[in-house]
Amino acid sequence: MSSKKLNKISSFFLNLKSQPMEIVLFVSASLSIIILFLMLFFVAREGALAFSRFGSDLLFGMQWNLESDLFGGFPLLYGSLMVTFGALLIAIPVGVCTAIFVSEVLPFYLRDPIKSIIELLASIPSVIYGFIGLLIVVPFISSFFGLVSGQTALTASLILSLMTIPTIVSVSGEIISAVPKTYKEAALGLGATKWETIKTVVLPISKSGILASIMLGFGRAIGETIAVSMIAGNQAHTPSSYLEAVYTIPSFIATHMGEAAVGSLEYSALFGLGLILLIITFMVNTLADTVVKRGAQHG
Amino acid sequence: MGSQTKERIFFFALGVPVVICLLAFFWIAATLFTGVGTLNMEFLTTSALQGGAFEMIVGTIYLFLGAAAIAGPIGVFAAIYLVEYAPHGKITRIIDQAINNLAGVPSIIIGLFGYTLFSRQLGFGISLMAGWLTLALMILPIVIRGSEEAIRIVPQSFKQAALALGATKWKSISLTTLIAAAPGIVTSVILGIARVAGETAAILFTSCVIITRGLPSSPLEPVMALSFNMYVQIVARGAPPESVFGMALILFFIVVIFSLVAIILRVYYRKKQPWLH
Amino acid sequence: MSYGDKVEIRNLNIWFGDKHVINGLDLKIKANSVTAIMGPSGCGKSTLLRALNRMNDVIKSSRTTGDVFIGGKNIYENGTNVYDLRRQVGMVFQKPNPLPKSIYENIAFGPKIHKIAKGKALDKIVEKSLRAAALWDEVNDRLGDSAFDLSGGQQQRLCIARALAVDPEIILMDEPCSALDPAATAKIEQLIRILSTDYTVVIVTHNMQQASRVSDHTVFLYLGDIIEQGDTKSIFENPKHELTEQYITGEFG
Repeated sequence: MSSKKLNKISSFFLNLKSQPMEIVLFVSASLSIIILFLMLFFVAREGALAFSRFGSDLLFGMQWNLESDLFGGFPLLYGSLMVTFGALLIAIPVGVCTAIFVSEVLPFYLRDPIKSIIELLASIPSVIYGFIGLLIVVPFISSFFGLVSGQTALTASLILSLMTIPTIVSVSGEIISAVPKTYKEAALGLGATKWETIKTVVLPISKSGILASIMLGFGRAIGETIAVSMIAGNQAHTPSSYLEAVYTIPSFIATHMGEAAVGSLEYSALFGLGLILLIITFMVNTLADTVVKRGAQHG
Repeated sequence: MGSQTKERIFFFALGVPVVICLLAFFWIAATLFTGVGTLNMEFLTTSALQGGAFEMIVGTIYLFLGAAAIAGPIGVFAAIYLVEYAPHGKITRIIDQAINNLAGVPSIIIGLFGYTLFSRQLGFGISLMAGWLTLALMILPIVIRGSEEAIRIVPQSFKQAALALGATKWKSISLTTLIAAAPGIVTSVILGIARVAGETAAILFTSCVIITRGLPSSPLEPVMALSFNMYVQIVARGAPPESVFGMALILFFIVVIFSLVAIILRVYYRKKQPWLH
Repeated sequence: MSYGDKVEIRNLNIWFGDKHVINGLDLKIKANSVTAIMGPSGCGKSTLLRALNRMNDVIKSSRTTGDVFIGGKNIYENGTNVYDLRRQVGMVFQKPNPLPKSIYENIAFGPKIHKIAKGKALDKIVEKSLRAAALWDEVNDRLGDSAFDLSGGQQQRLCIARALAVDPEIILMDEPCSALDPAATAKIEQLIRILSTDYTVVIVTHNMQQASRVSDHTVFLYLGDIIEQGDTKSIFENPKHELTEQYITGEFG
């Protein structure tokens, strides 16, 4: 490390000491970083046993079998990706369209009320989404498709899309609203219609922000535990259609952790899955941040 | 086809998804309301040992109040640091990114972490205390971000006036900027409460049991909660959803009321702050 | 009452980052007078003013060398209590900046943080300050109202009263009338003349007519250097330096 950098760092800490309150404030702010590190550390520590035993098979092994001490999580990964993909298939078009509509088309006086309703949609706890799913969607799917049980990947995708849409709408909406008025006025002044302006000016500028919102939506969907574990049917296999039951990584952890003996191989394997989920989430979030920053530079 | 008609069609097509979203919310609310019949004062005030929901409701309230009491001050301090004290540059950006990442951690992982650190490592076991600390982790990013925004829009002139009168940096911030930002800060705490009031995964292993004898007498005892009971009854005991209708409705009420209060506060104070004009 | 020089500045240099804003400046300011600092935009007037209550310290990129003696004490010496300095040297800003509190609480703010008084004694200070700022008659029946309910001119007089409440010796004013209408400006100029009986006033102004109306001494500052200084009448009627004359006649500014 260059001496200039060392100087900067040491003077930073020296300046801190001058006011006791400043130390309290600094510690409070650094707590977020400390918590993240602790999280990585502890989850990795509990999962170390399983990783040392199975390595990457923990994620890619095909069998999760308690009796034979075999813990491979591929069906869970498969289920996660299935359900998330299905949810995004609905959530992305609906979310982006809603964001455009609310930010650009809706008259001013309607914008805040509608945004508030979408905010309320976002605040509904996942256990209630699961409840509604069980109450209404599950029986519907079962009768519509003539299945024995309506608890399927499709059901999970449907409910999950409802839960993901607000994330996409709020982040995209913010990005779209942030497009400078001057650009829009330039286009309109040249005779473009409102839709043409949106298509040729607003959307291209907002591209990276919308992409980031989709990534954040992905992160939200893949980490969703409770609602999914109530309506997805909870079977660890790699189904060939959306009309079968699935497990996702988080829903599996939630339903199996209660019975796993502390310190056992199964316990460690569940933590190992948790670590994988944590790392995926970190990568997605950091990527989304980077995309937004890079977009801001070009825009 | 004229461009005006084309535009109308596009906007109509755009509007359909919006209507879907709005309908979804009202549909959920309406569905829940059909269960209003199961709710009455008796249900709310009777102990769970006799089929009521009293301990669950109080437990949920205990959980979110304690978590907010922990995350609130820390979050506000962090926000003040980030806006008023932090040197612009790397440190701020790293902390900002850490806050965003913390906000995005799946709640089940927060729960696992809380279980490992608070319940096991620190020895709190399955308790109210462990629940408070774990839920505080989820409220923290919400309070930091909301408070940051609220503090940022307070004009610098207030702080300058206080400094010129001889106040220390901390006093000039706490006596002027902080007070001006208070409504926004309170709103963010309420939003944080709305977020965790219905939280299940984070309290699954850290603080809840399916039934307790009365209310916990100390923070080191486990607690009942609406979301936990709903979840465990359905997933672990295979109960039909109708059986938890009452709990679902109460939980929905709590969350929606807090969310609405936050929204109303935000709108009300936007009008009431004369220096914003 | 004090006589002689209240403020003495010796070899003052101020940088903002790499920009050298004040160049080795020397200046003496007499007690119980009004001194106007004038000059074109960006010449360092506000920076010079803010050096007197060390408000430049708040700006991270600023660096100051040299000595400033107030009442005989060097305020840039190690160990100076900056917070007491700012009580002693009050400041009124260009744009009125009432605190988001009631009229009473605005005035009481300074005495409270310096623990000067409370209760009835505090009430007396508030009344005294508001009277000294010629605002008492207009607000005494609504002290609990928000300071933002006042007009621009009233808000600025409130800020003056607020500065007076901590019993300063020097009052710094940074273009105090630039955001006000002519009627309000006139009231404040009148106030400044009255204040100089008990306080030392240093006022930065863009407005030459104002400087000639209000001040006893004038300092003409250009690009961080004092070009000319002296009693106001002779500077305006008989400027010795060519730049001063050009500025006064409006050739630049």
